[in-house]
Amino acid sequence: MKIIRHRFWSFFVWPLAAVLLAFSAYFPFLSASAVEYGGIGGRPAYPRAENPRTESIFIHTLNPGTVQDEGVLLVNNSEEKKTLLVYAVDSVVSSGGAFACRQMSEPKEDVGAWIALEKEEVVLNPGANELVPFFINVPISASVGEHNGCIVIQEKKDAPTTEQAGVNLSFRTGLRVAVSIPGEITRQLEIVSFSREKQADGSIMLKPSVKNLGNVSVDADVKVVTKNLFGRTYLTQGGEFPVLRGQVSDWNFEVKKPFWGGWYRSKLTVEYESDVATEIGEHGDGPNTVLKGGTVSFFSFPKPLALAIEVALILLIIFGLFLWKLSIKRKRWIKNEWREGEAGAGDDIRSLAEKNGVSWRIIAKANRLKAPYTLKSGQKLKLPPRK
Amino acid sequence: MDKIMFKLVRRLNLAKATAAAFMAITLALSGTYVLASSTSQFTQTINPGTLSTDIVDGSYAPVGSPSVSMDAVGFSFSCQTSTGSFGTATQQIYVKNPDAADSGWSLALAAQNATDVWDSAGTDFDFNDPTGSGCTDGADADNFGGQMTVDASGATLAAGACSSCATTNISKGASASFSQAVTDSITLLTAAAGSDDIGDWTLQGVSISQKIPAEQPAASDYDINLVLSVTAS
Repeated sequence: MKIIRHRFWSFFVWPLAAVLLAFSAYFPFLSASAVEYGGIGGRPAYPRAENPRTESIFIHTLNPGTVQDEGVLLVNNSEEKKTLLVYAVDSVVSSGGAFACRQMSEPKEDVGAWIALEKEEVVLNPGANELVPFFINVPISASVGEHNGCIVIQEKKDAPTTEQAGVNLSFRTGLRVAVSIPGEITRQLEIVSFSREKQADGSIMLKPSVKNLGNVSVDADVKVVTKNLFGRTYLTQGGEFPVLRGQVSDWNFEVKKPFWGGWYRSKLTVEYESDVATEIGEHGDGPNTVLKGGTVSFFSFPKPLALAIEVALILLIIFGLFLWKLSIKRKRWIKNEWREGEAGAGDDIRSLAEKNGVSWRIIAKANRLKAPYTLKSGQKLKLPPRK
Repeated sequence: MDKIMFKLVRRLNLAKATAAAFMAITLALSGTYVLASSTSQFTQTINPGTLSTDIVDGSYAPVGSPSVSMDAVGFSFSCQTSTGSFGTATQQIYVKNPDAADSGWSLALAAQNATDVWDSAGTDFDFNDPTGSGCTDGADADNFGGQMTVDASGATLAAGACSSCATTNISKGASASFSQAVTDSITLLTAAAGSDDIGDWTLQGVSISQKIPAEQPAASDYDINLVLSVTAS
């Protein structure tokens, strides 16, 4: 036996370990060669350490008439040489109150018109990047509050020689440019509504809606907590979303059809920074303002398997209750109605049970008889009443 | 010498010895670059990642000429609706955020120009005129009726190649119809600040429906230019 075990280790385990080690040594090189989407785009060239959000978007507080130098780093992470268009546009409120950028063809009236880029076209080799400087020239007439625009990066493509029927798609990446003009700043949100909508697949769409009554955008921490009938948290959804000045933002949080079904209640809370001295991405020292929205309740029908399990459980419980009631009834019957009797010559527990029309087990239990349940002639017993 | 050989013959586990040699060679090969680094200078540039969107296939490779399939409809004397789906298993809507938009982003669909129409060699029709429930002309400057509705709420959002990423804190857009100067951009996704800073996501099955005015001439060359934008917000 020892020899067999020794041979097993020698011929199988050690060589296998070596092969596995060899694979593990090469694994990093294998994974590095996996397909990875590169893409093109850009990011702010001069993020400020005191405001981490400036790593993603351009944020400035500027007085009317001032000029701010900035830069955008254009990046080509694809495997092909690309010609990138870079241009400034105004912002537009997309459906649901989300932030979006206007199209290149649309007239510029706000921040899009304030931005002057040093270049509008850049050719980048694969994996290359280039900094494009620009400046923001705030007009004297700029009103107090927040103004938004975008720096957009898009691949330049030749116009097709023949028009392709259907939808022709192009893609672009926008970077928000938020410029706040100091003055009487108002930061105020209100909850407009909180509703639910049943979807065709049985899931529930929770739809909070929040309005910005101020003159700057506000990052709203929207939280929807869904609890079950027993008060246990089933799902927490939400996140911090920008609500643009003067706009209504709404979101759709999907509650997948719960397996067990049942009654659920969802509560909405919205929390935001109300300190007017803070700019986008910053948090003041004071407490946040918390708005409490309404509550929506909904019933979800269980999934078929859950329904079968639930019906089976309910039937089991009903049957259990029936047996429990039967047991109590039987105990009362034995206590109140059974008589004192005795075993006759030749009686055994089965013949006694047959004579009295009950199960021998009930007689055994009532008289605390143990196996093999032998009876002696004249033995005192509790027996059912005579019919 | 003979003594050692004799001892090896008697005692050496040949399988273990083979394995040890194999391991040594493997480590030596994989470590070659490290050994060489003592005398060589290596330069390595990791380009910063950028937020981007595209249409990709099942292997996350960009699709050269993506298409949006709309059901064909026949000529009709009454206003009719053509439906389609944007984002399929082989042409997935794709968003990649490689630590570029840490405070959230939004994905939206818009026409290249709000004054665009479904263009053909014959009579065109509109995509953003709400007059008569999208069936007649009226609200905008052009002379065409028609309206497009986009609904991402029933679409399937999933994490992409990033196995550890989640779809939490990303909200799908509700159904909305283009209406010139009122709704020029329709939101497909909105990612909150709490969404994954490093991640990629796919979206399939965005429902698109287009109202086609009554008596619209039959043609197979209708086309429109749409722009899919991802914006760090």
